[in-house]
Amino acid sequence: MSSKILPIALLAALAAAVYGCQGDIEGSVPGGTTTDASGASPQTPEQVLASSMCKKPAPGAAPLRRLSNAEYRNTVQDLLADVAGVGPALDSASKDFVDEAESLGFRNNADFLGVSSLIAQGYMDSAEALSPLAAATPSLIGCTTQDAACAKQFVESFGKRAFRRPLAADEVTRYTAEYDKAAAKGYDFKTGIEWIVFSMLQSTQFLYRVELGAPKGSAYAPSPYETANRLSYLIWQSMPDQTLFDAADRGELTDKKQIETQARRMLKDPKASRLLEYFDQWLDIDHLATFDRDANVYADVPANLPDLLKAETHAYVNELLQSPSGSLSDLLTGQYSYLNAALAKHYGISGVSSTDFVRVDTPGRSGVLTQGMMLSRDKPTRTSIVRRGLKVRLDMLCEKVPAPPNNVQLNLEALGDGLTQRERLEKHRTNASCAGCHTLMDPIGVVFEGFDAVGRQRTVDEGGKPVDTSSTIAATRDVDGPVAGVVELGQSLANSQEVRDCYVMQSFRFFYGRDYTTADQCSMAQLMIAFRDGKQSLSELMVALTQTDQFLYRPAPEAP
Amino acid sequence: MKRLSRRTLLRGGGGLALSLPLLEAMLPSASAQAADTPRRILFEFKANGDQTARRFTATGETTFAFDEFLAPLEPYRNELLILNKLNRRYNTLGDKRSDGHQQGGASLAPWESGEGSYPIGGKEGVTIGYVLGPSADHEIGDRVLQANAGLKYRHLVYRVGQKNNDIWNMSSHAGPVGTQNPIQPETDPYAAYARIFTFGADDAAAKAAIEKRLLKKQSALDLVLEEAGSLQSKLGSADKARIQLHMDALRDIERTLSSGNGSVACQPFDLGTKLDPYNDDNHEAIGKLFQKISVLAFACDLTRSINFNWSGNTSNRVYRNLGFTDGHHDISHDSADEAFVKIRAIHKHLWTMSTALYESLKAVPEAGGTLWDNTLVVHWNELGQGDTHSENDAMVILAGGAGNYFKRGRYLDFLNKSTFADMLVTCFQYMGFTDVMKFGDDRLNDGAPLPGLTA
Repeated sequence: MSSKILPIALLAALAAAVYGCQGDIEGSVPGGTTTDASGASPQTPEQVLASSMCKKPAPGAAPLRRLSNAEYRNTVQDLLADVAGVGPALDSASKDFVDEAESLGFRNNADFLGVSSLIAQGYMDSAEALSPLAAATPSLIGCTTQDAACAKQFVESFGKRAFRRPLAADEVTRYTAEYDKAAAKGYDFKTGIEWIVFSMLQSTQFLYRVELGAPKGSAYAPSPYETANRLSYLIWQSMPDQTLFDAADRGELTDKKQIETQARRMLKDPKASRLLEYFDQWLDIDHLATFDRDANVYADVPANLPDLLKAETHAYVNELLQSPSGSLSDLLTGQYSYLNAALAKHYGISGVSSTDFVRVDTPGRSGVLTQGMMLSRDKPTRTSIVRRGLKVRLDMLCEKVPAPPNNVQLNLEALGDGLTQRERLEKHRTNASCAGCHTLMDPIGVVFEGFDAVGRQRTVDEGGKPVDTSSTIAATRDVDGPVAGVVELGQSLANSQEVRDCYVMQSFRFFYGRDYTTADQCSMAQLMIAFRDGKQSLSELMVALTQTDQFLYRPAPEAP
Repeated sequence: MKRLSRRTLLRGGGGLALSLPLLEAMLPSASAQAADTPRRILFEFKANGDQTARRFTATGETTFAFDEFLAPLEPYRNELLILNKLNRRYNTLGDKRSDGHQQGGASLAPWESGEGSYPIGGKEGVTIGYVLGPSADHEIGDRVLQANAGLKYRHLVYRVGQKNNDIWNMSSHAGPVGTQNPIQPETDPYAAYARIFTFGADDAAAKAAIEKRLLKKQSALDLVLEEAGSLQSKLGSADKARIQLHMDALRDIERTLSSGNGSVACQPFDLGTKLDPYNDDNHEAIGKLFQKISVLAFACDLTRSINFNWSGNTSNRVYRNLGFTDGHHDISHDSADEAFVKIRAIHKHLWTMSTALYESLKAVPEAGGTLWDNTLVVHWNELGQGDTHSENDAMVILAGGAGNYFKRGRYLDFLNKSTFADMLVTCFQYMGFTDVMKFGDDRLNDGAPLPGLTA
């Protein structure tokens, strides 16, 4: 299959047109309408930050966060890194964990990480599988006397890493008592250690990121250990490393600069690739797990296409995260990708022979927009214009769509044989009750019609009709207007303040583990300014997420 | 009467090797119901609505006739009570209702929807959320558990075919009222079987190993519960509630720790060659495994309430076994005649599989009859008709002997008036909870069970 290349002149003209209609360069803080003392309504990030509400630290809620399944796996992997075969044992022990209830596209919202009996049972079973392995690892135990004193020492050393802070004396007693109980029953030292690990892996202190905070000036802030956890779970989706523990031991991690230095160090660590979890959830790469295409319509598709598409996006995003300048614009517009021989062959791109994913020019494509995310919600036998459009509107523009009306016939297929899906949808939108919503989705979705439901470029649709990717985007803050195809749409989205604000919003939700509220205006303003000043760098936003009131402070405890 | 927990007995008995029959003998009869054969309830869900005009060809109370997709039920007609055109009344919730599939998929939990989880529907400027209260399967199970100290599980929740959990596919909710607390179902029958059934060996070595595991688990649970309690005292109210849920879950586990499973009908079965639970092509085999697990859970009296789902709501399963290449939800949004041919075929297939559950229940002897005689199967769907997302014409079919509580073999038309929530009140009543006259939001209730159902 050949690639189409848009004339450069046309691109330039359209880029200029897009810039021309941009009326919202500054961005506006969601909910930033509180009237201040002077009667003004702060809207821009600068206005919000200058308002009275941001004169002192203004963190929003900091709910108790249970480890998500991904965080649990990463944490156990790091906690038991010395244990031979921990990877396969962990995979097996956690394979039946129930998926978290999704909220706003993410699976790590603190409000939906409640522990049901099924989940608690999963933790128990996993702890039962893992604890004997830990107990059989001498380097983890650290002492060799095989007695109560050694067990106590293990409780202190392993406990500090499992709970990610030093244990209080009564906690040491509590867990050492597990060893004593096993010993009193006549079980051996190893069994005693196993009982300790078994309990710790089910402890709320392990399964949640417990923060109590402490007064800091007139506000409240997390303790150094709690800040170490905030950093490690933000950037590594896991527990702190020794460097962070050492810093917390020294009482550091109390000022912005120290935290920034750590964040920059951590972003260079290979564990930063665990940030891909965010992109998997945001871009629906995780939905490729249920990818199902009809073999009669899509012949010659590699059996492992979902894996290939996931690897493509991972390589693409990882490269942007590792480059200080890798930006949201690059994410949406790169006319290159990372392919291996199998995926290049599938895409119809010649000259790639490696099994590893290497950078390849892909003219006519547009960053992640034309990778697996674009098609992960397509249908078994055809593309879905509506769902592709919906995906962009909900997840990249952070817009809302009304629910379809009840008791109204959704008479789409009956609109006429021989029509393309695009034409059917156009007729559909002549019905006013349908148009209200579908105007929000379909004009964006049709732009992707140059790609089939398995991600290959195409010029005719499933019915053999020529595809038309031109469209006029409507009902956005600053993406409205004509586009000829996905490359132009990518440029429009990359230049859109609405998309930038949305990216910051999605990052807020995932990395702070909850939805945004108007109480978060100061932190949001800080993030928006940092994202703008960092030229929309993805990695700089990660650093900025450690510099907000939300990260540096906690709300004051409730009065008893 | 003071409830004796299983845990107390295990300890008080001085040993952990107490066999279950002995344990049962020591347990108090906690309710009048326990003196009789227990009643059970199983909610059975099918997705995406059907074709309301093609449910029946005749609608007389006793002279009703099934149309094509309900035809598999004909051999059972005298054992069914058909409730047609129940109204869900979600339009009365204003902008606190979600999309028809979402709100309808939570019909067992007739509450308004909260905020903050999905950007389709809801009021201006706010995203819609999960429903703000518990579902009937959870609440009935909870009440049964309170009244029967010997039971192990409040309820069991099973779904065929999807592992991910979102606002589109969870029908069970824990509440309490005012909170969003969806319950993720079990989706892998092999793991589900292993979780609740323990058919252990009897030799001394096996017993010693079981005792060691039990000691370890009880010791850890004691520790974790005590520690969680002390953590709670340092937390704000919202976080306290989170830890409380966790502690409740641990106490649920505590109740299930001992081994052994009651009656003679409580026998292991072979689950066969392991299949991928998430492959659409395996849905029939996986669904039937969950049916058998459900029947065994009743036979072993591990629970009296089961929430079984043939799929999530809005399911887009591809029924290749019927020769189809497009997804169920996609087909259901198409108003063309050809699409309804497919919808009817899918429902006929699903209803045929439902009757396999009937036969499984009938195959287990119990107290002079079978499990079927003391079980109520409640068949429901998130929508009336799929292509219109209709919500005022729900069909619910009650199946099973159900302790002769219902006057069966009848068709009742509720004329879009009585509500789905009223039907749930009927379920509470059937289970012996006659104090329940309302379940869910006031606007969705008429304050009484459905009229004219009982024998």
